[in-house]
Amino acid sequence: MAGMHLLSDQGLRLDGRRANELRQIRCKLGVFSQPDGSAYLEQGNTKVLAAVYGPHEIRGSRTKSLHDKALVNCQYSMATFSTGERKRRPRGDRKSQEMSMHLRQALQAAIRVEVYPRSQIDIFVEVLQADGGNYCACVNAATLAIMDAGIPMKEYMVACTASLGNGDVPLVDISHLEENSGGPNLTVAALPLSGQVALMEMSQRFHLDHLPKVVECALQGCRDIHQILDQAVRRHIEVSGAVGWGIRPQVKL
Amino acid sequence: MAASYKTIHPVKYYRDFLAQNVRPDGRSLQTFRPVSINVGSIKTAEGSAIVKIGNTTVVCGIKAELAKPKAEEPNFGYLVPNVELPPLCSPKFRPGPPSDQAQVSSNFIAETLTNSRCIDLRDLCIVSEHLAWVLHCDLICLDHDGSLLDACVIALVAALRTVELPHVLYDAEAEKTVVSAEKRSKLKVHSEPVATTYTIFDDEILLTDPTNEEESLSSGIMTVVVQGDKLCSVHKPGGSPLTDAQLQECINGAMKRAEHINKLINTALKSHET
Repeated sequence: MAGMHLLSDQGLRLDGRRANELRQIRCKLGVFSQPDGSAYLEQGNTKVLAAVYGPHEIRGSRTKSLHDKALVNCQYSMATFSTGERKRRPRGDRKSQEMSMHLRQALQAAIRVEVYPRSQIDIFVEVLQADGGNYCACVNAATLAIMDAGIPMKEYMVACTASLGNGDVPLVDISHLEENSGGPNLTVAALPLSGQVALMEMSQRFHLDHLPKVVECALQGCRDIHQILDQAVRRHIEVSGAVGWGIRPQVKL
Repeated sequence: MAASYKTIHPVKYYRDFLAQNVRPDGRSLQTFRPVSINVGSIKTAEGSAIVKIGNTTVVCGIKAELAKPKAEEPNFGYLVPNVELPPLCSPKFRPGPPSDQAQVSSNFIAETLTNSRCIDLRDLCIVSEHLAWVLHCDLICLDHDGSLLDACVIALVAALRTVELPHVLYDAEAEKTVVSAEKRSKLKVHSEPVATTYTIFDDEILLTDPTNEEESLSSGIMTVVVQGDKLCSVHKPGGSPLTDAQLQECINGAMKRAEHINKLINTALKSHET
């Protein structure tokens, strides 16, 4: 059966983690000067950048403007050097468009769009290095970038993946190797404090009896990631909140 | 108060600063912004570098692929640069096909590579007429705050110097290619071009290493590429005319900066190897 070898006898996975351990997450807010909000997030070896522009006037066709909400526009793009094999089309192919749409659906559930009627919020995500869990890293980075831009949200939107190893042990935050091993992949984007799920996607198959524990494993992963992201946001505000917005001191080398 | 003055009349705002021989960010007219370089951070690419000039950030990733050489140049490999200006780097760029500026920048980088002879394409050929390396050099601008071409050239050179190509065994009769898993030989980089951008403000004042605002308010822009003690190219797409003396001043400034940048790249590479 697929996924039989993902967990060794000592309970260690391919990269030395235990079944319920997340990969190391490093994140930083406010990394760029041009966008209104930006963030950089590393989840293990997956490196992702997010930039948010907005809210601003609707560009392009005015007919798309909503009279009571802001329009959320997402673009998911992978650098051509981000994967093992060079990616020919960084954006515009079916997979990227699907990811962009899923990103938009997840973030729209968390952003308080009713505060900005007739405007547009642009969220751009760039994957610099892909090692599994791309979608989750993108959602997490986008949440941080939206916070950095000062756009109000109901809650953090956090995403996490889960899988089944050895047929019945739920594994959290799967890497690229584990994704391709043939085991089931469950991706969940949720509001961690209220426990509401905005997006859930699953591939491969497993028995219905296992579903509750895999979903719970992913949601617990979301809660753990939420704590890490929250700490990062608080640290960022303490450090840079006192400095004037948009004016960064130049330091001579 | 200053912020509203800047929004209503940005050119006058700048003129007031330049009258005191200083720029709004505190630099003098000839000071360069601090440069920071980091190499080898992207493990999925054969070579990578991230360069920051002030706020301008460019990441370069190099991927190697195998291909058949062109029939008319059987001993030459390929070096394919590409500059991407995604909408995340600046509100000027919208999603869609590559903008004019991206295409012009890609072309400039390609010409700089050929003019400076920084990579000998013959080094990229594995078996004449049958197999050669294609190096795709993708430069993505993450934050556009002026001096884009400077950052692109520095990132490209730094990334090329970290590229390590695996050894390839080619069996001509069976047409089989075997790539050895342990990467071995480093790519030979013959020269290191360095680009420096200047803008002309109000048809007379020369500003070194402009920010995005300064570039948009200026009446002309010029990029000088030097390599070692040789002048590689001068790119001045229209704009206000410059005198001979001003041109010479720019070239001298570029030469001095090139030394500093090369030392910086060497330091970054040394700390990457350890």
